[in-house]
Amino acid sequence: MSDDRLKIEVSHLTKRYGAVTAVRDLTFTVEPGVVTGFLGPNGAGKTTTMRMLTGLVSPTSGAATIGGRPYRRLPRPSRTVGAVLDANAFHPGHTARDHLRVYAAMGGYPDSRVAELLDLLGLAEAADRRTRGFSTGMRQRLNLATALLGDPRVLLLDEPSNGLDPEGMRWLRSFLRQLADEGRTVLISSHVLSEIQQLVDDVVVIRRGELIAAGPWSRLAGPPAVLVSSPDADQLAAALRVSRPDRDAPRVEPVEGGRLRVHGLDAPDVADLAAAHRLRVHELVTEAPGLEQLFLHLTTDKAAAP
Amino acid sequence: MNHLIKAEFRRLLATRMWRGLLLAAALLGGGMMSAMALVGPENFTPPMPGMDTETGVRSILGILGYTAFVPAAAGTLAVTSEYRHRTAAVTFLFAPRRWQVVAAKLATYGVAGLAYGLILAGTAAAALFTVAAARGDSLGLPPGTVLALLARIGLAMVVYLLLGVGVGALVRNQVVALCLVIGYLYMGEALLMMIPGVNVLYPVLPGGATAALTDFTYLADAMSQELGSTAVHLLPPAAGALLLTAYALAATLIAVVSSVRRDIT
Repeated sequence: MSDDRLKIEVSHLTKRYGAVTAVRDLTFTVEPGVVTGFLGPNGAGKTTTMRMLTGLVSPTSGAATIGGRPYRRLPRPSRTVGAVLDANAFHPGHTARDHLRVYAAMGGYPDSRVAELLDLLGLAEAADRRTRGFSTGMRQRLNLATALLGDPRVLLLDEPSNGLDPEGMRWLRSFLRQLADEGRTVLISSHVLSEIQQLVDDVVVIRRGELIAAGPWSRLAGPPAVLVSSPDADQLAAALRVSRPDRDAPRVEPVEGGRLRVHGLDAPDVADLAAAHRLRVHELVTEAPGLEQLFLHLTTDKAAAP
Repeated sequence: MNHLIKAEFRRLLATRMWRGLLLAAALLGGGMMSAMALVGPENFTPPMPGMDTETGVRSILGILGYTAFVPAAAGTLAVTSEYRHRTAAVTFLFAPRRWQVVAAKLATYGVAGLAYGLILAGTAAAALFTVAAARGDSLGLPPGTVLALLARIGLAMVVYLLLGVGVGALVRNQVVALCLVIGYLYMGEALLMMIPGVNVLYPVLPGGATAALTDFTYLADAMSQELGSTAVHLLPPAAGALLLTAYALAATLIAVVSSVRRDIT
């Protein structure tokens, strides 16, 4: 089983196009069994990195390996890695079945696998329609079907949420979760952070081709904050700030609508404290840390630095 | 490698272009030949020697040879559509050894070119003999020679299709590659023939080599007469065949080498 758990290792990867450095000295690891989000604004170098991972683009320096081997050295790459790097990579005159049959032949997979994937991805009814009439959701499913032909242990998806409706997103989330739970390595890139934050366990954040942060999302995001709404906000803020003289003082920041955001205490702490001071609480919400905030925080901090 | 060839055949056979190509072969072979034979080269403007003369037969066969830009364009279209529709990246994901992909395409399109050439030559032969018999004419060349010349034209189509594949793999941009292939083969070479000095190159250009296959000098002669330039001497048919093969090999070699290192973005 350990053989099936393949790590992606990127080490000192650099790609220059003339004077432009698209990716600069990038090093990170993607673990099997979890979904890793590869995040960064548009133009950060995500796509270039994914294309270097799959041997489509040659790095200027550095290396990227999957299970210890560069992509081009994998004995049967489509058996190890399934990649969706382009939302729309079909001949418009081919049907979904034609498309899959071409790549099934290329990878050496039987036609029964084509039928299996058409079923698995809910494309059975559209199988014999030409792809030119396909919706974005159907294209994504056909892309995934192509990537999964070889039942690969590693899945790389570049911007899979682009153009998907909420139902499609829900479906994609549960589908990828299932793949990761089977011990596969899943790396998905996105610039729309809110769309994948419910999905990812680990994150790799890059900006302008450089690594900004990498690691388990929960560790990077830190503990949740508590949002409290109270007509006695001022007194409550004062009480909260002096509530734990023995430890780090909770951080309290006023937000619009007379509410407070409290860091360093959980919701029961805040409620108990308010009750002890006989202060009114109208609303108390635990705020899950958003990737969006983390991402803005990480990228703007760097951007502000000279 | 067998997997790749099987995949390329599936890719080709699933498109409509394939049927269009075979239809074009029948239309150009059967259709154009019967039209030319029915009208008779002596009634062309400018008039050419009749079908009962050797020059007349060689001329209308030579004109058939000029349609070689069609399979060439088809080869270019097929290869560049992988870049246009962005499937090239998917293909190279499944087969990172890119030279193998190009080699598989060449093998596949070689067979497709053979099918094209067979249909073209076969329908042309049928049209030529049927019309001649119907008109009660005798052809200026014995049937065996006519068939041999048609077979050479058929094989030239294979070479042209592969040339088109090579240019397509090199240029990658569909519109540019098609303009290049059609523009050069359809117009470019004829224009070159008109330039004094440059026309001595004609025999070693693909068009000149194809004309050598059927010893079709009528058009070149007429042009040099018209322009008062020196007559063009074509290569012997065997040398023309070798030269055409060399062009196809060069095109495929360039296609293979150029595909290996380039980034697919």
